Amino acid sequence: MEKSLSAEPKSTSPATWSTQIWDWADARLGLSEVIHLAEKKRVPDHRHSFWYYWGGITLFFFIVMCFSGVLLLIYYRPGDGAYESVRQITYDIKFGWLIRSTHSWAANLMLASAFIHMFSAYFMKAYRGPREFTWWSGFGLLLLGMVFGFSGYLLPMDDLAYFATKVGLAIPAVIPVVGPWIANLIRGGPDVNAFTVSRFFALHVVVLPALFIPLLMFHLLLVQKHGMSIPESEERKPESERMSVPFFPNFAMKDLAMWLIALNVLALMASLFPWGLGDAADSLKPAPMGIHPEWYFMSSFEVLKLFGQWFPGEAGEFLGLILFNLGLILWVLIPFYDTSSKYGMRARLATYFGLFVIAILMTTTIWGYAVLPPTH
Amino acid sequence: MNYPVWLVPIFGTGWVVGSIAIIHVLISHFAVGGGFFLPLAEMKAMKEGRRDWFPQLKMFSKFFLVLTGVFGAVTGVGIWFAIGLASPEGTSTLIHNFVFAWGSEWMIFLIELTLAAVYYYTWDRIPDELHLRLGFLYAIFAFLTLVIINGILTFMLTPSKGWLEVAGTGHEADAFFQAFFNPTYWPSLFLRTLVCISLAGIFSLAVFSRLDGKKDGKVKREMIRWSAMWLLPAFILMPFCFLWYLWMVPASQRELMSLGISTIGSGAFTQVTRLGLITLMTSGTIVGVVYFLAYQSPRDFKFGHAMSVVMLALIATASTECVREMLRKPYVIDQWMYSNGVRKTQVAKFNQEGFLTHSPWQPPAGATPVEVGRRMFMGECMACHTLDGYRGIKGLLGGRDEKAIGNILEMLHKDQADSPYSKFMPPLVGTDEEIADLRIYLASLVTTPPPTPPSAAPPLAATTPLR
Repeated sequence: MEKSLSAEPKSTSPATWSTQIWDWADARLGLSEVIHLAEKKRVPDHRHSFWYYWGGITLFFFIVMCFSGVLLLIYYRPGDGAYESVRQITYDIKFGWLIRSTHSWAANLMLASAFIHMFSAYFMKAYRGPREFTWWSGFGLLLLGMVFGFSGYLLPMDDLAYFATKVGLAIPAVIPVVGPWIANLIRGGPDVNAFTVSRFFALHVVVLPALFIPLLMFHLLLVQKHGMSIPESEERKPESERMSVPFFPNFAMKDLAMWLIALNVLALMASLFPWGLGDAADSLKPAPMGIHPEWYFMSSFEVLKLFGQWFPGEAGEFLGLILFNLGLILWVLIPFYDTSSKYGMRARLATYFGLFVIAILMTTTIWGYAVLPPTH
Repeated sequence: MNYPVWLVPIFGTGWVVGSIAIIHVLISHFAVGGGFFLPLAEMKAMKEGRRDWFPQLKMFSKFFLVLTGVFGAVTGVGIWFAIGLASPEGTSTLIHNFVFAWGSEWMIFLIELTLAAVYYYTWDRIPDELHLRLGFLYAIFAFLTLVIINGILTFMLTPSKGWLEVAGTGHEADAFFQAFFNPTYWPSLFLRTLVCISLAGIFSLAVFSRLDGKKDGKVKREMIRWSAMWLLPAFILMPFCFLWYLWMVPASQRELMSLGISTIGSGAFTQVTRLGLITLMTSGTIVGVVYFLAYQSPRDFKFGHAMSVVMLALIATASTECVREMLRKPYVIDQWMYSNGVRKTQVAKFNQEGFLTHSPWQPPAGATPVEVGRRMFMGECMACHTLDGYRGIKGLLGGRDEKAIGNILEMLHKDQADSPYSKFMPPLVGTDEEIADLRIYLASLVTTPPPTPPSAAPPLAATTPLR
């Protein structure tokens, strides 16, 4: 039997109007059964439990993005009027700037917390059986999230968005034979223009949510089915020494508190560093200095650039693209490699590989920012 | 006028004062709230026969003594040094008007400090009843310091009609009580008292979170829940007190709060709104986190959780104090003295006779226009602007040529009521020659990069200097 830190004892107060409402709803919806189920569900409690919150925090930022995105939809106009509509949102409409900043910051924070969630799951070996599909669905969500970010970045159609998208779309264009065709298909022509905005808009608000939300449901379902994974340090303990807390109310309350803190971080960023708007995109103007992709693409961008330096022509960039994708495939297939639940050589190698990936991502990202020319 | 030696590059004088003041406000308010928390907790423990609370309260009073007696006192003195250098004219006005009040506050503060030490060192050494009385005596003296300093702080935003009528005549002392019990005195006192009570709860949560939930489960549960309840008065009453406070703030200053509702276009001009949003958000979150984490799961409430609440309290304090300070813009003492130390009544005289003539920044004979302009900048702009850092003038003027800079200076000099600048910035005073020299100096700071020829879209790797 696991030891448990039980929920606080409930008070036995007489029936009030709130309990009467509860009883009425419970009789019709079976709420107490759901709560009973949640109370039975237990969450491991150990010194690494902090990492369990990051999945919930990522979900929270996604929910904020959905709400703020719907509010932005009210005023945003894709196509030729894109820039003007974002200008109105930012400078004319009451609290429009706040909604836009909240949306943009939530996107960045969602990806940051998704990265933390992924790496914490990786080092806790949470990808091992029977959680392989949880790992793959989570990774798919992260990739979709990055595409969300890329497609949303162009929508204001200011000069920075315009040139950064141009740079970003140059990445698939280096694939031999089909590359230019793919890039043209995404752009809606040989250049980034109002047609591209319309395509990205459709991708951003229809296609990606239609893929993301079912995959998210699948991921959450698997988390419910298999429960939280425990780290190796906990696995070594006999079951009788492992601690756990009820999901409801103990863990749920802490999760809610974490969401509140996440909301504060978001509010701080949105208020102190509101998302600005540059000049309207103009293909005849010179590109602003220091154009670069968003931070979550900086590593891949830098790797391609370095390979482009080391090898002549487009071959270097293509080689970089292949290597980067090989790394991604290795990362995705790690559950097939590290299958042991013990602490053998494969488990250690998987850990070293994780550390290596973090080192590469961080080094190339920092390097990418370090070599950027000053913006003015 | 500013002393010619007080230069704070990058950071700016305002942030020197602000950084010290934010920490001081947090601790000093805790010193007042904690002063009530300790004897009330002790009284509760005595009434209910809970001797097992005493060791925890003793531990709390030790933390209280160190934090308030050391950090609170040091930052308090630090504010004196900082404001004296950042705004000597403003500080001088305050001292001349409130010397009696300030003298009394220092006396009371000394007694408060002594009582805090005596209270801690007499745990288990004197009878319980006497110890409890000491605690309440401390609470009274701590509260008195707030009663006094609140009058001086609120005076700067609402100096009162009576005081403004005699300001500059040498008879300001006749209007002492009008200045002290000014329009925002009472709402501010209530607001600050609620903050004190909340901070007592927050810091006590931090102390009691260190109890072992398994070993001392019962005590921890009771003490955490009791501490959490200290946030309830603020949760209920704070919105009303805040509205009362806003009601008493002059409409012209209240307007500053709404400038950032529709636009971020003016950057610094919308800071009050944006900081106000942070205050609302963090305050609401503190209540939520304390309810979910502390009240609902007291035995699982850990030090890390408590520190996150303390951090939120620090952010709430910082943003609220910034809003309060910025509400006075463009004045340091409303309707009397601008934030750069120029009195409202001096504007016409300085425009006619020259600003530098009446300033310690007066240039030597034969100084170049750039040098004269630099001194104008030091005397009139440096209270709020730095060259390269916070509100850096180079960044703000970036891309403008001398003519455009001249237009801005002219607008600041005319100081028309419909200009958004006049809501935040003092009028630029000085003769036409002085203003022209300032224009030349500012233009010399801003170098416009040569235009880049139009080019096609940058290739993938051509956007950085690597290729």
